[in-house]
Amino acid sequence: MIKKQILLIPFVVFIIILLSFFYLLIIERNPSELPSNLLNKTTPKFETNKIYDDSTFISSKEFGNEIVLVNFFATWCKPCKKEHKYIKLFSEKDKIRVIGINYKDKKNKTIQWLADLGNPYSDVLIDNTGEIGIDWGVYGIPETYVVNEKGIIKYKQIGQITKKSYKKIISIIEKINNEK
Amino acid sequence: MKNKNTTIIKCFLIFSVIIFYHLIPVKLYSIEPSEILKNEKQETRAREISKKIRCMVCQNQSIDDSNAPLAKDLRILIRKKIKDGLKDEEIYNFLTDRYGDFILLKPAFKLSTLALWLLPLIFFLIGFIVIIRHNKKSKLL
Amino acid sequence: MIPLFGNFALWLSLFFVVLQIIYSRKEKNNLVLQINRVAVIGLLACSLLTFASLTVSHLNSDFTLVNVYQNSHSTKPLLYKIAGVWGNHEGSMLLWILVLTIFNYFIFRSYNKNNFKFISNTLESQGIIIIGFLIFTIFTSNPFKLMKSIPVDGLGFNPILQDPALAIHPPLLYVGYVGFSAVFSFGIAALKIKDINTFPWHYYMKPFVVAAWTFLTIGIALGSIWAYYELGWGGWWFWDPVENASLMPWLLGTALLHSLIIVEKRNSLKTWVLLLAILTFLLSVIGTFLVRSGILTSVHTFALDPSRGLYILIFTAILGTYSLILFAIQSKKYLDNNYYAFLSKEGAILANNILMVIVCSTVFLGTVYPLLVETFTNNKISVGEPYYNSTVIPIAIPAILIMGIGPLLSWQKEEKIKILKKIFPNIIITIVATIVIFLNYKTYNIVGIIGIVLAFWIITSNTILILKKVKKNSLSMIVSHFGFGLLILGITGSSIWQEEKILNMNINNQVTIKSHNITFKKIEEIKGPNYVAIRASFLVEDKNRNIITKLEPENRFYPITQIITTEASIHTNLLRDLYIVLGDGNLKDGWVIRIYHNPLVIWIWIGAFIIFLGGIISINKNLKKLNIS
Repeated sequence: MIKKQILLIPFVVFIIILLSFFYLLIIERNPSELPSNLLNKTTPKFETNKIYDDSTFISSKEFGNEIVLVNFFATWCKPCKKEHKYIKLFSEKDKIRVIGINYKDKKNKTIQWLADLGNPYSDVLIDNTGEIGIDWGVYGIPETYVVNEKGIIKYKQIGQITKKSYKKIISIIEKINNEK
Repeated sequence: MKNKNTTIIKCFLIFSVIIFYHLIPVKLYSIEPSEILKNEKQETRAREISKKIRCMVCQNQSIDDSNAPLAKDLRILIRKKIKDGLKDEEIYNFLTDRYGDFILLKPAFKLSTLALWLLPLIFFLIGFIVIIRHNKKSKLL
Repeated sequence: MIPLFGNFALWLSLFFVVLQIIYSRKEKNNLVLQINRVAVIGLLACSLLTFASLTVSHLNSDFTLVNVYQNSHSTKPLLYKIAGVWGNHEGSMLLWILVLTIFNYFIFRSYNKNNFKFISNTLESQGIIIIGFLIFTIFTSNPFKLMKSIPVDGLGFNPILQDPALAIHPPLLYVGYVGFSAVFSFGIAALKIKDINTFPWHYYMKPFVVAAWTFLTIGIALGSIWAYYELGWGGWWFWDPVENASLMPWLLGTALLHSLIIVEKRNSLKTWVLLLAILTFLLSVIGTFLVRSGILTSVHTFALDPSRGLYILIFTAILGTYSLILFAIQSKKYLDNNYYAFLSKEGAILANNILMVIVCSTVFLGTVYPLLVETFTNNKISVGEPYYNSTVIPIAIPAILIMGIGPLLSWQKEEKIKILKKIFPNIIITIVATIVIFLNYKTYNIVGIIGIVLAFWIITSNTILILKKVKKNSLSMIVSHFGFGLLILGITGSSIWQEEKILNMNINNQVTIKSHNITFKKIEEIKGPNYVAIRASFLVEDKNRNIITKLEPENRFYPITQIITTEASIHTNLLRDLYIVLGDGNLKDGWVIRIYHNPLVIWIWIGAFIIFLGGIISINKNLKKLNIS
């Protein structure tokens, strides 16, 4: 009573799954990288102290005015040191405001670190407990977010910024500028 | 008793030995005494929720099992939310808003996971029907 | 010299496998048979020599080879130098090929004057599989690649991978995993033969199913034993994609093992068996793809390389397309119109098959679903342990219930009253045993009760079968089923009654867990062969102050690989595992100490071993038959 067509079902299921694997292989993807859930959403609301003068940083006032890069970093993070030159490029050459969030670090160490390497940040914020990081969906550092002039997160860079990712971020900023 | 490392030859012999003792390498340990909530019910809730939350910097572990710093932060956060009075669902939503569905080890029940949750049930029903049909038809012969 | 020799043997294998493929297609005559023999033995000899060459290179710490440099170190203990041969991608491919050629040889040994065409077809299929893996190994994963400059020493080896269970786990697993290739080949050959209903192809296939399944069982069990001791405290199955990749062929293999009985006794269900034969090995190959392609991350994955993945995927596509289309076209001739009553042996086996396949499909679904979601929606989801617990356990419960009744039923139908009479003592003993256990452990939990009931259900029904000495039931089945009952007992006990204590302890502090008194005696720095460590010493006494044991957990630092490991200290007996893990701390504030009491864990391993034993009994029987013929 088994129709001939039923005998083809194993083959059909097999092909669908194989084509799916094939697709995943040929696109460029990193299986351990997680896409941000905050893309095209407003930046999380938070308040914290700035590192130099202890004054309060209120996020709702600081986002939504211009394009901003948000860079999560720490002195104990080696890739953060390596990507620092690109952060400086963003700030000095491309004239983009970069906010640095100091993730689970010690204040004195950070001040020294920035004195040694140069401080490209418009503001350096303290995130001792990692709670701000959690609000942004940070799961490792460094991570860098591109926020547009309306306060919407448009792109998340996972891991150390390299020449390639620097160019990618620049092109995303250009796209935002063109869409204004 | 001394520390002994069991060799594979011993392993087969060991099955006949009642008591043995050896050193086993364990990669991880997670919860620290300072994290444990004083309220037992709340602590149990926290453990249950933690077992369903993925540690995102590990390979396929829950934050309950992992000793990664992020896992610890999330464990502390969950306990804080429990003490603040949030319900389980609210806590899961808090986490998925920030990390997406990837953080749930028990996949959410939504349109994209419909097939995932329903297919086992459908398979079971099909299997059940096949067995019933077989039984019925065998009686006709 | 030796690497050159090994590489030469590898290339020579190509010659023999081409010879086998060509001559397995020719008509029956004496010369063809002799050439087939030469090809089969040549293949086996070459793969043995290749494997031996790589092993000797590792033993000699020959760092001119990239493979030895990347995976070995001169200070590694001997056992782990050997295990290091297959603990990496290239070496494990040699293991794949070795097992393929061993099974190839046994296929050839199945020749007799009646089955020339059938065995030749099988050898052709096996040859195609072998050449696929040979080409992959030679051109993308050659273990004999030379270093440009010779280093002084190797990159060392992960100390976590230096464990006896892990050393033996891959070879045994591969005998099972890869062994299903022969079953696949027999299936292809069966689909091609002309005199279908008279040719006993299942008779030739069965010993290979038993052999592959038996070793897959122990291979998986050893992997779990290693995981329990290495990766977690009480965790031995994590539904990791690579673990699932080994479980799925096991599930289908179990279904295949059981349905072959129906083919033997009732001459039906052949179409189904042929589909299982094909799918089991296809799952092995897909599993290999998942592990080595870089498409997902897991504790098990080898070096991530999409180009290798592409090759394996194409090979899988060719193998799967050919076999499944052949199945769709040719298997019709095996269809029959037999139907089975539920309360009969065939009915029970059919139900078991269906449930095994449902579990396998569910595991497969859970494993590939995140990948499918990512393909079609650009979103990432996780499917973890909670999913499998919710889906697999409810399906497994009826399967285990049927497992207790099935062997007691007779072929064709049976009256319900007769069945009740048969299982009555079983029911009584199960109830009594369950009550006794729960009076002891005092934690009531619905899943726990079900698990214990099922465990004793299986244990008692098989004990009764042994005591009744009923000849018509095979010994290997009773032994394996009995082992399975013990397995369920161990799984249930360790899952629901685990107790842990996490606390800060300083020297001379004491803590009690389940009537064990544990005292923190001292802490010291020690030196090992390739590590330095902090070791804590705990005295374990029972409630009457009798010393049970001393537990000495360590935290080790391996300077060569810069890895820190935590070594728990464990005391095992038939009733429970007791172990202690040392955390961070100092003399002033004390240390974080974790103590675990895991009941009945050892029965998981004993049960698995007895299942394996049942399989060995069957293999032994088959080997005797082979020698007679």
